[in-house]
Amino acid sequence: MTNADRPLRPEGDVSALPTVVFGSRSLMWWGTLGFMTIEGWSIALLLVAYFYLRQNFVDYPPARTPFPSLLVPTINLGIMLLSFVPAVLVARAAKRLDTAAVKLWLLPFSALGLAILVLRWWELWALNIRWDTNAYGSAAWVLVGFHASLLLLDVGDTIGLTTFFWTRPLPPKALSDAADNSFYWYFTVGIWIPLYLILYLGPRIF
Amino acid sequence: MSAEHSGEHDALIPAPQPPLPARATLPDDLLASEHEHLDALWSDGRGFWAWVTTVNHKSIAKRYIVTAFLMFIAGGLEAGAMRLQLSHPDAGVMGPDRYNQIFTTHGTTMMFLFAVPMMTAMGLYFVPLLVGARNVAFPRLNAFGYWCYLVGVVFLYVSLALNMAPDAGWFSYVPLSGPQYSPGHRIDVWAQLVTFTEIAGLIGAINIIATTFKLRAPGMSLNRIPIFVWSELVVSFMIVFALPAVALGSTFMLGMDRTVSTQFFNPAEGGDALLWQHIFWFFGHPEVYIIFLPGMGMITEIVEVFSRRRVFGYTAIVLANITTGFFAFGLWVHHMFATPIPELGQSLFTAASMVIAIPTAVQIFCWIATLWTGRPRFTTALLFILGFFFTFINGGITGVMLASVAFDKQVHDTFFVVAHLHYVLLGGAVTPLFAAFYFWFPKVTGRMLSERLGKWNFWLFIIGVNVTFFPMHLLGLDGMPRRVYTYLRETGWGPLNALVSAGAVIIVTSVIVFLVNVAISYRRGALAGDNPWGSYGLEWATASPPANYNFLYPVVVRSRHPLWETAVELPVLTGLSTERREVLVTTTVDARPDHRHDDPTASIWPLALALCMAVLWIGSIFSPYVVLWALLISTPVLIMWSRQAMRVTTTERVQRPNGEMVEMAQA
Repeated sequence: MTNADRPLRPEGDVSALPTVVFGSRSLMWWGTLGFMTIEGWSIALLLVAYFYLRQNFVDYPPARTPFPSLLVPTINLGIMLLSFVPAVLVARAAKRLDTAAVKLWLLPFSALGLAILVLRWWELWALNIRWDTNAYGSAAWVLVGFHASLLLLDVGDTIGLTTFFWTRPLPPKALSDAADNSFYWYFTVGIWIPLYLILYLGPRIF
Repeated sequence: MSAEHSGEHDALIPAPQPPLPARATLPDDLLASEHEHLDALWSDGRGFWAWVTTVNHKSIAKRYIVTAFLMFIAGGLEAGAMRLQLSHPDAGVMGPDRYNQIFTTHGTTMMFLFAVPMMTAMGLYFVPLLVGARNVAFPRLNAFGYWCYLVGVVFLYVSLALNMAPDAGWFSYVPLSGPQYSPGHRIDVWAQLVTFTEIAGLIGAINIIATTFKLRAPGMSLNRIPIFVWSELVVSFMIVFALPAVALGSTFMLGMDRTVSTQFFNPAEGGDALLWQHIFWFFGHPEVYIIFLPGMGMITEIVEVFSRRRVFGYTAIVLANITTGFFAFGLWVHHMFATPIPELGQSLFTAASMVIAIPTAVQIFCWIATLWTGRPRFTTALLFILGFFFTFINGGITGVMLASVAFDKQVHDTFFVVAHLHYVLLGGAVTPLFAAFYFWFPKVTGRMLSERLGKWNFWLFIIGVNVTFFPMHLLGLDGMPRRVYTYLRETGWGPLNALVSAGAVIIVTSVIVFLVNVAISYRRGALAGDNPWGSYGLEWATASPPANYNFLYPVVVRSRHPLWETAVELPVLTGLSTERREVLVTTTVDARPDHRHDDPTASIWPLALALCMAVLWIGSIFSPYVVLWALLISTPVLIMWSRQAMRVTTTERVQRPNGEMVEMAQA
């Protein structure tokens, strides 16, 4: 038995409260925010290492290293920005409880995610240096590679959600999860913008 | 308790508030039937399958605590082996290679496998109970965290048995730990083991943050959170910002320098050995406070209960905790004073290292004031706290000494530093931990630990710690370097080293007394009842040990000390489902009831995913391509995990962001 020592006096009833909510009210949103914080901070630390190592070079990228190519990274950045559209539409539809629209917009969301992942492979080579050439190459590869692991996670989640939505009946909380998935995507793409500027454009400017 | 209140002390524990307008209490037969029903609903079953699939925070935290304590014993045995070797000059118990592995395994075990997991585990057990919740926020993730940690434990000790244990010290400085000077896989073991435990730590932290912010009992606004929960919350935030540094440094930098030839630490290709030190200590210094702030939280709880009055300076203590959390990130360079750091930088970090003593002192003065004006009961738990004052303050003072660059350079890498860090960690973390064991053991097991054996445990421990570590100061001042496997008779260090080793025997005896106490009390100890200490916190408002569901109904909290400041009847909220595992989610600041959340049931997938991760991390030491295979096998596991979470069960009440409520059976 519990509360054995003390009689319990009911002071209210919570049965009328909702069981599925959206955004910062839901536990899943807090979990997502937690992992975003860890991952964002990790990227910040890797950037610190990138700039710390710069002290050891006269030029950064070092002499005889070509600037990173811009074509693929810029195309991929464009696709990432475009992917905001279905991501936002999925989140809005989920909050309207409009399952049909969620299912519809998850399709382009997944397709764009997949395209971004594929292009990421060439984006690594667009750095125009190998990871084992020197410390600059190592730092740049690890930054792009670490972000690629976040992309992999989120695109995997999006494709998984899409498959679930199209193949089986889901509980209503799946709508809240779909909104949180978009929330995570805003972070994944949002944090890439400074990385793109620093890693691909930066060497040409500074 | 009320009979003991008299005279001036009446003001210290406020009188219970007058009862609210009369309303019927819940009848006993209803409570009994609800108890039976909910206990079965929240049970994860018995037997092996239940053991590997459980998601109950108490089961997981208990095995965390037991595993971490076993690691404390293992680390202690390694310390014993080192003390045997150093007990006299030119000893031949072990050679330098084995000694290197032993001291590295000792440090790695104590820091990564004992201290942080133990403090996280105490949070995972008690934070939900202290805030009146039925489980942690993410129960399956919690199980996954424990399994990752266990993989790390097994990995290190199998490596030690295979003569493959790391041997470059617990901070694995490059270039010694780099591919050139440490060929083979010993350092790879260290790098991946760190990753396992850091993942576990980060998961624990996210769980504690979300549990504290969203699962508090209705009415437990932020200014009513028990101080132990505050300290766990601050520490969890510190973990979020400190642990990624070492996880990245060990896996993505040191590990990859060794396995795929990245050049982070290779000066010939623009790499930098000092980068490692910065990354490591940016984690490593906050780590000390991550270990010791939960200890401070435990102290406040225990001082408050055994002084039998409200703690003096609640707000000051909470702010001191938060301030320490911030300052802890500004001290790391004081570990690097022997490297070419610019003088201005050194001065800044000296100042910061001294400043952090202030919030710690604030807490200590608050406890002294509480004890001074209360009526202390000197139970074993409180004795350990007094032992804390003595040992920790000693360690704190040598810490302020070490903050001075000139002094630091004299004693750098000597036994003086070993003495300091053991005073701080044993004093700051292990003594409060023992106190907490004596305080909370009755809650966890339903039985009291023996006070008589407890006093033996205490005196042997305090004497042992001081006999062991005080002479190390003198040895260090006399120039004895740390991490040497032996020394010559002519140094004259023999007698003091013999004394140190004798002290270690006393500590071992103390721990044996504790284990005997636990073994006897677990079976035959006095029955504890719900609230043996007359405490105020919500954890004492439930059974000992708590039922599977923790609290039959969410308890309404109206003050900081619910059991001291409410009348006999406990106000509760009814209406959570009895058909599925529901928890009440409350608002972040005021803890107003917000919604009902369906808590997950037992699952095998956390263990399966941890095993996939084990393949990934351990395999990557031998070939980078294993990563791809591991990702491939994790995919079906992740799908199964998600499928289990996405079952249609019942009609839900969905609230849209605009407030509209809709009944929905499926999406």
